[in-house]
Amino acid sequence: MLFLNHIENAIQSIRSNRLRSILTAIGVTIGIASITAILSLGVGARSIISKQVDELGGTIAVVRPGVPQNTITQNINHLSGSQYAASTLTKQDISSLKKIEHVTEAAPLMILQGAVRGDTTPSSNANIIATSPSLEKINQLKLLDGQFLDPDLIETTAVVGHQLAVDLFGTEQVIGKSVSVRGQSFTIIGVLQPTHAPINFNTVDLDSSVFIGFESGILQNQGTAHIQQINLQVDSVNNLESVVVAANKTLLKNHLNQADFSVMYGDSIAQPNSQLFGIITGVSVAIAAISLIVGGVGIMNIMLVSVAERTREIGIRKAMGATNSTILMQFITESLILSTIGGIVGYGLGYLLAFGVSLLLTFDPAFSWQVAIAALLVSVVTGTLFGAYPAIKAARKDPITALRLYN
Amino acid sequence: MTEKTPPPVIELTNLKKRFGIGDAAHYALDGVDLTVKKGEFIAIMGPSGCGKTTLLNILGLLDGQVEGSYKLNGQPLESLSRRKQSHIRSEQIGFVFQSFNLIPRLTVLENVALPLLYKGDLKIKRLKKASKMLKTFHLGEREFYMPHQLSGGQVQRVAIARALVNEPSIILADEPTGNLDSNASHIIMEELSELHKKGNTIIMVTHNPYLTTYASRVITMLDGKIDTDTFHLPSTPAPYSEKIPLNKTESEGA
Ligand SMILES: Nc1ncnc2c1ncn2[C@@H]1O[C@H](COP(=O)(O)OP(=O)(O)OP(=O)(O)O)[C@@H](O)[C@H]1O
Ligand SMILES: [Mg+2]
Repeated sequence: MLFLNHIENAIQSIRSNRLRSILTAIGVTIGIASITAILSLGVGARSIISKQVDELGGTIAVVRPGVPQNTITQNINHLSGSQYAASTLTKQDISSLKKIEHVTEAAPLMILQGAVRGDTTPSSNANIIATSPSLEKINQLKLLDGQFLDPDLIETTAVVGHQLAVDLFGTEQVIGKSVSVRGQSFTIIGVLQPTHAPINFNTVDLDSSVFIGFESGILQNQGTAHIQQINLQVDSVNNLESVVVAANKTLLKNHLNQADFSVMYGDSIAQPNSQLFGIITGVSVAIAAISLIVGGVGIMNIMLVSVAERTREIGIRKAMGATNSTILMQFITESLILSTIGGIVGYGLGYLLAFGVSLLLTFDPAFSWQVAIAALLVSVVTGTLFGAYPAIKAARKDPITALRLYN
Repeated sequence: MTEKTPPPVIELTNLKKRFGIGDAAHYALDGVDLTVKKGEFIAIMGPSGCGKTTLLNILGLLDGQVEGSYKLNGQPLESLSRRKQSHIRSEQIGFVFQSFNLIPRLTVLENVALPLLYKGDLKIKRLKKASKMLKTFHLGEREFYMPHQLSGGQVQRVAIARALVNEPSIILADEPTGNLDSNASHIIMEELSELHKKGNTIIMVTHNPYLTTYASRVITMLDGKIDTDTFHLPSTPAPYSEKIPLNKTESEGA
């Protein structure tokens, strides 16, 4: 009842100082807008990989060398390419995995670093992926031209990603041309369609990769297989979990009971990436929070002015029977409404901003009620926190002194 | 059959109020003894600075830092929590200040309805009561005016309407007729008289000796002490008693 009046009263007071209120709320608006934009983009980015796996029918499992990585630093090491560390996965593992019931395909990914040359210019950031022909089926790779790796063809054939073709030759018409991979010449038999997915569960950007046969890769790597990942395809989603169990069992046997590998599926495939995004999002939000603090200080400032201006009013209200807590609530409500209005507008603007930014990116901002709740909660907390001091000051005013003012 | 007499509404014993400390200390009230019974209409007079407003503020529980004893309806001031004091202000006391009575950003109606808010009335009820009260002061057409759109006399009348709206048993009025002309002053005094007849206790500060005729008791103060204290029968000055009913328009001057 009294609270309703506080709201009414606050709105009236905000209205009568329209410009001042708008300027104050803008501080919070900016803070909440940046937090909303960052969070929604962050959540959007984190779901890229899960979405990719889902789009492939959700029937993908991935085997990676090393113990399951749980800490963030380990994951970052993994992402930043532990290619040079020895892999615990072997060729033997691939054939064992293929034999598991319900596994339809298995393709190793052996990622090498080295010079990739076209006619003239060397490409600096090309990935060399030695893999088997089944990768085409597992990853549902689409070809722009030509065909993917084929066991029937000679070993020195290669497939290039769209971006790499353009980088190396300046055109996508590169079938039959020869590409030099770490000094060895390969004939291009296919070009992939652009995937526009620099972040994916293969941990490399397929668009700027060259694919060569797995055996060629081993030859290039002084005769040792260095497998970063084995992609498994399962015949149906329902069998995914049983395959994962069986794969773990089989690999444990192969590795003499040493759990130096991890089998992942579903969201856990994306875990290293999403943790990294989590950190990036967190840091950005923390920076954006600073602008929110500035907004909060703005509210505090204007509320202090408001309390000073209304000293007489406070005295009159107290004489009419208002308790200290009533006065406290009156002013808290006012700052709360200021910050909430700022927050709601900021939330809307934040999404607009996120959509604007996402036009330049490969993913959409995520609409989630969590972000909405977070934005609302943060603005409410800001209003309460920064409104508290002025409100306490108002509540503590001695009615006599308040009434004497202007007397 | 001895009927138990209720305690006096107000009982002050050797009440002192000091402002400042050390060498700068100054007693605005310097030993006031006063007993006010229910239904009295007291007019307080005295030179400027003798402590009239200070006394009224203390009586209205706005200032609790005093020496001596103050019992309100038999309850000592020290025994009342701050919340309880707010409650008493809301339920039992009506204030008219010396000046700047109204909250400038609220309408006349909202100003008058204010005491009812803290009493806990619903909005519709608040506005209805306030509107009714304003009508008795011939301010019905000014409900939605802002205070700065009123004349000085109208402001004082709105302030009195507000002091009465929660039907307080004690009315504390600090120069309610302030700088109004005698005609406007008597309209206000008639209202207070009316309330007095209904059994309310009224304590009013005034500088105008003619207005003390409405009161049942006149107290003069000097340097923080009570100087004289006279009881008499209240009477209404003849010229005005006939004039008031005819006075429908708001005629008050600067
Ligand atoms: N907050 C204060 N600090 C210091 N001195 C004060 C304070 N309030 C009042 N006084 C002093 O107390 C004395 C009494 O003041 P008070 O306002 O009660 O006078 P008054 O009788 O109402 O005068 P007036 O008729 O002019 O309204 C004055 O000397 C005044 O200076
Ligand atoms: Mg005074």
